[in-house]
Amino acid sequence: MSVAEFDELIHPATRLSIVALLAAADWADFAFIRDQLGLSDSALSKQLATLEEAGYVTIERPLSERRRRVRARLTPVGRKRFTGHVAALRGIIANAVPET
Amino acid sequence: MTNYPTDAEARLALHGVEDARQRVIDQIGMPWWYWWGLAACWIGLGVAADVANEWVTLAALLTFGAVHGMVSSRLLAGRQRTMDVKVRAEVAGRRTPVLIFGFLVGLGAVTVAAALLAYADGAEHPATMASVLVAVAILLGGPRLMAAIRTDAISRAAAR
Repeated sequence: MSVAEFDELIHPATRLSIVALLAAADWADFAFIRDQLGLSDSALSKQLATLEEAGYVTIERPLSERRRRVRARLTPVGRKRFTGHVAALRGIIANAVPET
Repeated sequence: MTNYPTDAEARLALHGVEDARQRVIDQIGMPWWYWWGLAACWIGLGVAADVANEWVTLAALLTFGAVHGMVSSRLLAGRQRTMDVKVRAEVAGRRTPVLIFGFLVGLGAVTVAAALLAYADGAEHPATMASVLVAVAILLGGPRLMAAIRTDAISRAAAR
C-alpha cells in the first residue's frame, strides 16, 4: 500500500499519461508511447527527458536489435511516485464535498 | 505551494490514467504468427500420422513439443505480442499460460476424438481430417481466448 502523495512533476496530463502507460508495462518503445498518446517526437523526448532527470524513468537503447530502438522504463522511484499520486487523486475525489 | 486539483480535475486525470492502462492491456496477446504456425504444425502432425510410419510421427511430435516449449516459454504469458511493449506480469495476469496450455491440451483431446470418429466412419485420412478441423479451431479460438484474457485484465484493473 503506497502513501498518497500528490506529485506536481507527474501531474501534467501528458506526463501523467506517459507514466501511467509505463506503469502498466515493464518497458515501452519510444514509438509505441508516441503513437498511443498522439505526441510528436520532440514533445515526447522533452517529457521523457524531464522524467529521466527526476529519476522517474530510464531510457535504454538496446544494441542487439537490428532496428535502432529507444525504450523507456519506469524506475522503482517513478513507480512509487505514480502510485502515490494516483492514491492522492483518489483521495481528492473521495474527500470532495458533494454539491447541494 | 502545491496547487492541488479540484475533484473534477482529479477525475479527469484518473480517466487519463485508466485510458493509458487500457492501451497497454490492449497489447496482451500472442504474436500473429503463433496461431498460424501452431495450426500449420497441427496439420503437419496429422498428415504425418496418416502417411508416415510411427517412428517418424513420434519424432515429429517430439520435435514439435520441443520447439513449442522453447517458443512458448517466452510468449505464453501473453506479455509481448509485439516488440513495442512488454506488459507487466500483474497487468497481464498469471493465469494466461495455464489457460493457453489448457486450450492446447483440450485441442489435442478433440483431435484424437475426431480422428477416431473419422476412422470408425471409414475415412481414408482420419488424422489429417481431424487436424484440419482443429487447425481451424486454433485460428478462430486462439485470438478469442486472448480477447477474453484482455477483458479479464480490464475487469481486474477496474476492481483495484
